[in-house]
Amino acid sequence: MAESASKMTATRGFPHLAIRMMELLVAALFIYAGVLKALDPLGFANDIDNYKILPWSLCLRLAFFLPWLELACGLTILVRRYYHGSLAILISLITIFIVASVVAKSRGLDVTCGCFGHAGRNLSFAGHLLLDFLILAALLVVARFRLGRNRDPIPA
Amino acid sequence: MIGTVVRQMLALCVVAFLPAIGEAFYLRDRIPWKTPVPASELTTLATAESWGNQLMWVDARPDGDYSAAHIPGAFSLNEDRWNELLPQFLQQWTPGRKVVVYCSSQSCNLSRAVAHRLRTEVQIPDVYILQGGWEEWLKAHPK
Repeated sequence: MAESASKMTATRGFPHLAIRMMELLVAALFIYAGVLKALDPLGFANDIDNYKILPWSLCLRLAFFLPWLELACGLTILVRRYYHGSLAILISLITIFIVASVVAKSRGLDVTCGCFGHAGRNLSFAGHLLLDFLILAALLVVARFRLGRNRDPIPA
Repeated sequence: MIGTVVRQMLALCVVAFLPAIGEAFYLRDRIPWKTPVPASELTTLATAESWGNQLMWVDARPDGDYSAAHIPGAFSLNEDRWNELLPQFLQQWTPGRKVVVYCSSQSCNLSRAVAHRLRTEVQIPDVYILQGGWEEWLKAHPK
């Protein structure tokens, strides 16, 4: 009992605050990215099409769907509802995006990221990749902290 | 635990699906559902060249490619330096001139992105994409 209490205490204080800040940052980032892309689905469809992996019809459908999914996940992480599902979706999305970016670049394609609409277009490919790895790392740290052994429980 | 996560993921997908459907329905007439670029926004090299003085070439490739070689008279306007190059482009462009954007090849999407931004952000109506891009120009004008 005492051990359990001390574990719970260990998750409070600075680590808890840092993780919460990280959550807020990631949530804000995905809300921002989702809104930008939802406002310009055609531009985002072109960005997905740049990867030359999917047919245009599917690019368009994803361009309408993914921004709202990012927005929903960002908002639910912010309010800590459907938390685990949101984290799983965002980790999957960012991983798929990183793999697709690297594959496209290795095929010599002129890849424009499109992750943050036009706001991110001035970033180089390496800059985009670094940003994506940082987001992935933040998501994994949050997931590890919330779901790991010394987790800080989140209501399902 | 896994069951809960999957259920939550499905619920989020449904939540995102509804506004996505609404937005797609709202924009249904403005979206090219079948091809990435509507045929009306594409132009062939022959057509573009027939426009004579009314034509303004825009090179959407990165600076290095533009410096190496470009269509004579083409203006460099790429997304890497969009904010820097756009004011210079607008000084050159006059209303009524047709803008034809090109990048390296047919599969290159830089021209599409630049053309899209010129239409939506700068509100230039006559913006076209060169079919075949720079490669097509080279075929027609071998060095």
